[in-house]
Amino acid sequence: MNTVLKVTDAAVFAGNKQLVEPTSFELAQGRVLTIVGETGSGKSLLAQAVAGLLPDGLSATGVANLNGTHFDLAKPASLRPLWGRTLGILPQEPWLALDPTMRALDQVAEGHRLVRHLERAAALDEARRDLKALGVEDAEGKLPDQLSGGMAQRVAFAAARAGGARIVIADEPTKGLDVARRDDVIALLMKEVEAGGSVLVITHDLALARQMGGEIAVVLQGQVIEKGETEAVLSNPSHDYTKRLIAADPANWTAMARQGLQSEPILVADALSKTRGGKLLFSGQNLKIHRGEIIGVSGPSGSGKSSLGDILLGLIKPDDGVIARLPGAARHRFQKIYQDPPSSFPARITIGQNLDDLIRLHGLDRRILSALLKRLRLSEDLLQRRPSDVSGGELQRLSIARAMLLEPVFLFADEPTSRLDPITQQETVDLLVELARERDCAILLTSHDKALIDKTCDKVIDIAAA
Amino acid sequence: MIRLLFGRLVQAALVALMVGLLTFVMTRFLPGDLAYRIAAGRYGYDIVDSAAAAKVAAELSINQPALVALGQWMFDLVRFEFGTSLISGQPVWEEVSTQLGHTLKLAAVAILLSLLIGPPLGILAGLRPGGLLDRSLILISTGMRALPQFVVGLGIIIIFSLTLGLFPVAGHDHPGHLVLPALTLALGLAAVSNRVARDAMRSVSETAFYTFGRTKGLSEWEVFRGHGLRNVAVPIITYLGVQFVYLIEGVVVVETLFAWPGIGHALVHAIFGRDVPMIQGAAFIMGLLFVALNALVDALCHLIDPRERRT
Repeated sequence: MNTVLKVTDAAVFAGNKQLVEPTSFELAQGRVLTIVGETGSGKSLLAQAVAGLLPDGLSATGVANLNGTHFDLAKPASLRPLWGRTLGILPQEPWLALDPTMRALDQVAEGHRLVRHLERAAALDEARRDLKALGVEDAEGKLPDQLSGGMAQRVAFAAARAGGARIVIADEPTKGLDVARRDDVIALLMKEVEAGGSVLVITHDLALARQMGGEIAVVLQGQVIEKGETEAVLSNPSHDYTKRLIAADPANWTAMARQGLQSEPILVADALSKTRGGKLLFSGQNLKIHRGEIIGVSGPSGSGKSSLGDILLGLIKPDDGVIARLPGAARHRFQKIYQDPPSSFPARITIGQNLDDLIRLHGLDRRILSALLKRLRLSEDLLQRRPSDVSGGELQRLSIARAMLLEPVFLFADEPTSRLDPITQQETVDLLVELARERDCAILLTSHDKALIDKTCDKVIDIAAA
Repeated sequence: MIRLLFGRLVQAALVALMVGLLTFVMTRFLPGDLAYRIAAGRYGYDIVDSAAAAKVAAELSINQPALVALGQWMFDLVRFEFGTSLISGQPVWEEVSTQLGHTLKLAAVAILLSLLIGPPLGILAGLRPGGLLDRSLILISTGMRALPQFVVGLGIIIIFSLTLGLFPVAGHDHPGHLVLPALTLALGLAAVSNRVARDAMRSVSETAFYTFGRTKGLSEWEVFRGHGLRNVAVPIITYLGVQFVYLIEGVVVVETLFAWPGIGHALVHAIFGRDVPMIQGAAFIMGLLFVALNALVDALCHLIDPRERRT
């Protein structure tokens, strides 16, 4: 087998602090290597070090051998000539990675013209061929904001490779994507592999690793703890952490005990309908939510999951239909947990101040917060920090604490774990459900992950345009 | 595009109405005896007396009721009939249009100069935020903007005219006369536009698409030309629209300082002389000019930004 990329002792430092321990791996032609690990394990840093893309303030050591040439990872500038030509770096958020003021075709043609030095007309022809090969020839004349997520993904993929790169580095290529688009990305990457290219994938999504095949390396706290053929490692993990990682995949969860519906309904919705952007999301949607009930909504993004939840909370108005909320329950007892924890906290004040304001506003007992924090396994010290200084998992548990503080009767959890890695996701969902059960609080849980919904919820509803 | 220009046309009509009303009200409320001041303007302060003032008042029907006068003025406006200057006796339109020509020449050169100074420096600073250029620029810009324009103008006269002897101080008969007043205006404009350019460049260079341009394999210059320039140009040009207010305000001061025979200069003199038709005419034209320039900015953004073209 022909090795195209051989990394020896790649390590990442912030000043003197070692973030990633010296790590070595190899990538063969026509093969996939997946690096998995939880958020903060250093797996992304490893990929960034190899690509010469570490953020300011971080430095790397080690050597990368590309097709026989040695590159010193401590000198990221020396890697720049490889960008686009040898290394194709797939952007994480394709929509944001495309210039909003340039047609899709031109963005792809750039690589052919400026990196491969083709004539303008030839470059445009090549770009057209690329888009056609990916099935998005109608994206040509469009600007990024006219592209669907899947189309943007393909255009970005074509653009990343136009310079002739045959080694593709994809950092979290499926983060926050629904199933359909996820499969799209996997198909794109596999196509590259079949054509003889090599792919380095960084992810926390084990299902992705399984589908991609090839080899896998599991990273924990900056160290590779296990590596080998993906199939073999995932079916017979030797390291304890790998086992936990596999168990945390929602498909492997044990289903939670379901609850009966003896209690009184707290929210009854009748014949709701909603149109957004000219598209009918749902109509004639009926829903009855009882105390302490956990209801799941699953479906692709854009199907109206969030809109339904926001309508039930009264944050947006339905086009049609009526909602009856439990009489006597104050409006603030209908709460929401947001998808992206950092953006649901004010960035410039400490978390403690945010929560104290809430306690003062509603005249609550401070001891409730302490009890909640203990229950959610959160240290009181976290309250002194700002949202940016707390991990995503902790922050999402803090937002659960913040919602629970108000003794909600209904909680809308909108994709609360889609940005968290599997182990953190499982912990978070478990705690959320436990707390809700204890407090007789109903939950409407949305997720693009069907398995997560199926294993967690008492009842699953489909939203559909009747 | 058509809808956009139509919107500006409606705006122009509204501006005309507002400026017409306001100048009328404001000139009515100017302190002092209107007729007396006009007579003084015509015959000189030494020989003016109440008889002359009364004659002026009668001739110009200054004592007619306010509402009648307003109606008359509005009616004249609709027909683009600005009347004649109370002091020179020339038709206002004739006077204003020659002055406007001078002012436009000055303003155009000032904008051009400011665009040559401000945005390039700002873009360089934005590419290296916190660098030496960035820090020096913020100091100079803040200072430049904090100084009143007549001080900047005087400083420029002292340096370029009195000390170095490069350009004439005042006058308007050859292009060299344009340089100093235009530079005074341009520095004030550039002091702000370089900050706008700097912030725009900084935020564009931090976007994912800028990084993606690099990882696609483009050189730093290719990324800037392909993905930086167009994205930075839109806020800079949009901001020009806002800067026209500053320009119009600046023209009044700078033209007076450099004795440039433009519309700002004329406006100041008209106010001193209580030359009501001239005040109204000049203010009216400046208001419309402001709308026209903003329409031009819209059109430019339209050409640069394909997202605008589509709508």
